Amino acid sequence: MVTEAAQPEKKTIPKKWRWTRRTVQTLFLLLFLFLLLYTVQGTAGLFPNDLFFHLDPLTAITSMLASRTWIAPMALGIITLVLAVALGRAWCGWVCPMGTALDWTPSRRPHKNPAVSPRWSQVKYFVFFAVIIGAVLGSLTLVILDPITLLFRTIASGILPGLNWAIGGAESWLYGLGALRPALEWADGALRGWLLNSQPFYLPNLALLAFFGAVLGLNAVRSRFWCRYICPLGGLLGLFSKISFIRHKVDGDKCISCRKCAAICPTGAIEPENKFAADAAECTACLNCMEACPTRAISFGRQSKATQPQDTTRRWFLYSLGAAAVMAVFVRFIPAAVKKASASVRPPGSSEASMGDQCIRCGECVRVCPTGVIQPNPAGSPARLWTPVLKTRLGYCDYSCNSCGITCPTGAITELTLEEKRKAVIGVAKIDQTRCITWAEGRDCIVCEEMCPVPEKAIRLGGGGQGHGLGGGRHPQVLEDLCIGCGICEHQCPVAGEAAIRVYPPAA
Amino acid sequence: MELSRRDFIKNLLRLGSGVAVAGALGSLAACAKESKPTLSPSPSPPGPALTQQPTAVPAPLDKTYLAVARGPSPELIVQAAIKALGGMERFVRKGNDVIIKPNICVAYNTYEYAATTNPEVVAALVKLCLAAGARRVRVMDQPFGGTAQQAYERSGIGKAVKEAGGEMEIMSGMKFREVDIPDGRDIKKWSVYADALDTDVLINVPIAKHHNLGRLTLGMKNLMGLIKDRGQFHFNLGQRVADLTSLLRPQLTVVDAVRILTNHGPTGGDLADVKLMNTVIASHDIVAADTYAATLFGLTADDIPIIRAAAPMGIGTTDLKSMKVEEINV
Repeated sequence: MVTEAAQPEKKTIPKKWRWTRRTVQTLFLLLFLFLLLYTVQGTAGLFPNDLFFHLDPLTAITSMLASRTWIAPMALGIITLVLAVALGRAWCGWVCPMGTALDWTPSRRPHKNPAVSPRWSQVKYFVFFAVIIGAVLGSLTLVILDPITLLFRTIASGILPGLNWAIGGAESWLYGLGALRPALEWADGALRGWLLNSQPFYLPNLALLAFFGAVLGLNAVRSRFWCRYICPLGGLLGLFSKISFIRHKVDGDKCISCRKCAAICPTGAIEPENKFAADAAECTACLNCMEACPTRAISFGRQSKATQPQDTTRRWFLYSLGAAAVMAVFVRFIPAAVKKASASVRPPGSSEASMGDQCIRCGECVRVCPTGVIQPNPAGSPARLWTPVLKTRLGYCDYSCNSCGITCPTGAITELTLEEKRKAVIGVAKIDQTRCITWAEGRDCIVCEEMCPVPEKAIRLGGGGQGHGLGGGRHPQVLEDLCIGCGICEHQCPVAGEAAIRVYPPAA
Repeated sequence: MELSRRDFIKNLLRLGSGVAVAGALGSLAACAKESKPTLSPSPSPPGPALTQQPTAVPAPLDKTYLAVARGPSPELIVQAAIKALGGMERFVRKGNDVIIKPNICVAYNTYEYAATTNPEVVAALVKLCLAAGARRVRVMDQPFGGTAQQAYERSGIGKAVKEAGGEMEIMSGMKFREVDIPDGRDIKKWSVYADALDTDVLINVPIAKHHNLGRLTLGMKNLMGLIKDRGQFHFNLGQRVADLTSLLRPQLTVVDAVRILTNHGPTGGDLADVKLMNTVIASHDIVAADTYAATLFGLTADDIPIIRAAAPMGIGTTDLKSMKVEEINV
């Protein structure tokens, strides 16, 4: 057997495929980021913002299964499945932006990997079946493991608000120094509206960042650890790739068993003990091996069944099904156990039910919300983890905005016209007389009344005519029949800390 | 465990150089654009020298102190009112930087709902400023309901200003500066939009509206769009707005009363609360302009806490009988 050190002929290896693939990956990642950044108020219909969610067959299957509805645009996921039947997991190697992010993350060098036990790579089938069975039982919580939602949600709720905070702070500091003002004004104007906005950083979203960090960090154990062992979309495409017809082929006459292909394979798909054949369920068609092969023994093309690597996975496949059933019991019983958990203020056009069985936790509504009031729910029932809730101290539901319903890729938030949305009751405001300045301190303040966007004002001043001060000693009172729960009163309440007027979910 | 540090660093450098190049290009472009001498002085410690606009321009009694123009065309009545005051040249010199501050408080409805200033009134002022030789005319406000981009669009002001040759500025958080308010009676310091302090000419274009705490929101109340932490103003609204006015002292106030909002202000939303008046009121004296505007609602200076607080501070006068008021019908 020839060792690596004995092969100095690197120059002769053409790199065009590697660069082609990197270019395609980069373009898809840029497209993903572009669509994400332009998921902002007012661009509805200009761009196909949901493209990746619609191309993702896992979000399609699960959201339709869980909600028992046909979501037409989600049929685009068939394209990806057809791609898998033709080319195996080429999606993972060429398209998936999460995969690209992992390729760009430093990793344990592939050739340092010991031979990968095929047992561990079966975990992703377990995860996939758990996701599917969870969906069948009406819970989409496990879709947080879908790579597209994972990447979008993390960038939208964690990274961008963090960047916004950091850039805003840096700008203010530099502006105070004076020298760079023209450049700063230009930069601020150029970035505002897509990169910079008024979304605050919601502290519990640190959990999303930590989760994402862990996914990247696992690269230190194995390159593309996530894709090999955990990713449920990888599991789905892996299943389809078992019948794919364009595959990695090794010409046994040319192969000198130098192991270069096995060393360079980022997902450990190549099995030296099996004549250097690649497991189609692991191969992402990155073509690295083809380029690395000093004798050009490797090609990709139609593969006859006979020379395919032995399928040792059936046992594990069955094991996955069994384990997934166990998981399903959890998924089934967790929501039941916490059903008493109180309802939350939800985006207009959604319901507690649609949050559970239609929301894929992608974070598009979080991204599009101009005020940052929509945040992934960190608390409450695990069956509703990271579904959108309104944090009305942080932001408010803008009376002139219906973007979240337009943006939602699954219809978990239904699209309302602006007129409908203005009448959609998402909560009700209540005044805390122990905190309200007019009640507790007898001073003037009617900010909540001033802010109330309802034309006839759902907050009125009462409590008696000519008292003291400008407000005449009047106190704000909520007319609950008129209140739509937008929360601008709570958001703007000048009381420090917890507001003196707070929005609660509407009475059931 | 060995990470491919080299790849990581390479990626970082690639990313970094991209950002740096973009940044450098940006600075260059910005510098090229701003190569003319800029007006904004380099920052010096906040103090009276920076904050003081000239006090209300004293006008001889034979000159028009306050102009009221009425007619169906907002543009024509603005032109007539400014002409009566001696023309825009009285306020704007050649090469001046001008900021016009309308009321664009929410993005909820179009201007017909009278929550935001009439776009034709704003555009007419932009044109007059440019005709008087202004180098640059910027229009801005900080909406509390909805984004500035959306409010500028829905109010119609964005389009009208651009067509008139002005610029809409999205007010940026970085441009606020805490400054002393030497004449302030309640507040002595506040965080104010730096450009409003540094500009040559500040023109205030409120719309006259109902407001529950202040009775009405007029010229002085409109200046609250130029500060941070507005919620904290309401504990003592009258005095605090008067204190802010003593700092900003706009050279010209034009009250848009083409339509006025008589109830459920400042946000409105019901056309039944809107009254068509086809009127504008213009004066260098913001207190006088507000006092006159209050009369459109059947109120007097004494009814408006902000005017009551401002009158004794020497910011302007409430005595409409002592001044030459020119009323014009166009």
